[in-house]
Amino acid sequence: MTSPETALPPITQAHHRWLVFKRRMEPVLFISPAFIVIAVILIYPLGHSLWLSFHEWTLRGFRRGIPFVGLQNYRDLFSNPDFLNSLRITASFVLLAVGIEFVLGMGLALLLNHDLRGKNIMRALILLPMMCTNVVIGLTWRLLLNYEFGLVNYYLGVVGIAPLEWLSKPAVAFPAVVLVDVWNTTSFVALLLLAGLQALPDEPFEAARIDGASPWQSFVLITLPLLRQTILVVLLWRMIDTFRIFDVIYLLTAGGPARATETVSIYVYRYGFQSFNLGYASAASYIMILIMLIIAAVLARLIGRIEN
Amino acid sequence: MNRFRAIRLVRSTLIYMAVIIAVILSVAPIIYLFVTSFKPAELTFAVPPVWNFAPTLQNYRDVFAGGTFTKYFFNSFIIATSTTLIALTLGAFAGYGFARYPFRGNYTMRLGSLLPQMLPPITIIVPLYVLFNTMDLIDTQWALIISYLTFSIPLSIWMATGFFSDVPVELEESAMIDGCTRLGAFFRISVPIAAPGLAATAILSFIYCWNEFLYAVILTGRDARTLPVTITSFMTNRAILWGRIAASGSLVLLPVLIFAIIAQRYLVRGLSRGAVKG
Repeated sequence: MTSPETALPPITQAHHRWLVFKRRMEPVLFISPAFIVIAVILIYPLGHSLWLSFHEWTLRGFRRGIPFVGLQNYRDLFSNPDFLNSLRITASFVLLAVGIEFVLGMGLALLLNHDLRGKNIMRALILLPMMCTNVVIGLTWRLLLNYEFGLVNYYLGVVGIAPLEWLSKPAVAFPAVVLVDVWNTTSFVALLLLAGLQALPDEPFEAARIDGASPWQSFVLITLPLLRQTILVVLLWRMIDTFRIFDVIYLLTAGGPARATETVSIYVYRYGFQSFNLGYASAASYIMILIMLIIAAVLARLIGRIEN
Repeated sequence: MNRFRAIRLVRSTLIYMAVIIAVILSVAPIIYLFVTSFKPAELTFAVPPVWNFAPTLQNYRDVFAGGTFTKYFFNSFIIATSTTLIALTLGAFAGYGFARYPFRGNYTMRLGSLLPQMLPPITIIVPLYVLFNTMDLIDTQWALIISYLTFSIPLSIWMATGFFSDVPVELEESAMIDGCTRLGAFFRISVPIAAPGLAATAILSFIYCWNEFLYAVILTGRDARTLPVTITSFMTNRAILWGRIAASGSLVLLPVLIFAIIAQRYLVRGLSRGAVKG
């Protein structure tokens, strides 16, 4: 930076302090407009939602008043088997889907990290699923996974595998939804990890090769540790996205069959917009936000620790 | 030596095969959707699937019949474009601030700026509905533009920070020594150099808005409806009109896919750049 002190020799102390203050305020001026706009938009919805979560608001009763019920909505939630079920479904969905996406994505990233001909076009094509409209993804897969005339069952039949009731049998519907999410977002994981891989320095890998390390050893001992920050950011992004998933599942199964794929988002949707029990739905929302903040805080802590 | 070359050949063949399988798996469902959109209705469910058929535009004609699809197409376009312009402007300033001033807590604050983008839409949609209702904004384009800013601004900040970090500081410094102000350096040096990245940022924000479903389905009705909601309107109580879903789905995907392929390199770099460097 150009230092004003050296540029203008005779300078008063007050002026100097003013310049330092101005310099300090510069980033604030650049950054704050965006934050202010977001805050203005979000402050009322978040506040109102919190308020609702302590009140009883039902379609039948709200004209007669919206009584304060304290923590009743929260208590009800944790004694409601359907809510607990949706939490369990969401947790297993996040772990399973993100786990598979990470393993496949890492594999794909390592493959794409080779000097391949036509690499750019292949990378562009692999990118497509993550850009697709979720509604279209949900509906396309609903057609593909159709029991009677879906292509998936047809081609499984060609290889001699009996058709599966992908979307109508609880035990199969959950893996089916995971499968679609894996199709949808593995490319995101792969391409971000690939970008991370390409930013790594060459020297440690050469040194390891000279020392006779196997490819697996250099992957575990060099690649993974060096890639930690990228990995954590990718995991943070993916876990949050999977945690709140709505569109794809809503259009594939609408949470069914028998609530086997009813994630928290779909549960809240049912209570907010089908039963119009807004206080209860808001309490569920706040539990969602809380869980999300915990995930974000834990991963951000880890990322911060690496940075220092 | 020969054996060594043979091993390398086998290895590279395997790598190519694996990558090509990944490419095919990624693209096949999309191609299937496009093909289905040109299929005559009686072949949509044919088992075994028929790939050799006389393509028809009937599904597309059905989609456009009545003229509402064109209207909703423009809704989607206007909402996505307006949101993107606002978000890109605010995001570029903030991104520049994050990239140029290494103040304490910079990275934490940047991660924090992603929080609104991570917020599950379902958690704020009820109060948003109430809010827009009292402001008389339900079923207007403004309702969606305002809602979409909550994720497109954070996304733009994240991407723009990465692209501005790549602009060498020295260029700006020499401009400022020559009497350029900070703001002048921003507009005349950094923005032009980061332009391709900012374009990719705009494209990503556009795609996110274009694809959004939950806010749109709840906050709009007949007037401000967008395309993802329109597609689901072909699932009626009596039947699911797959031909029309495939045709409208293809129309919705087409601009997205073209944008994504054009901006591919910058999209990935922008998303990961924020992750790679503190």
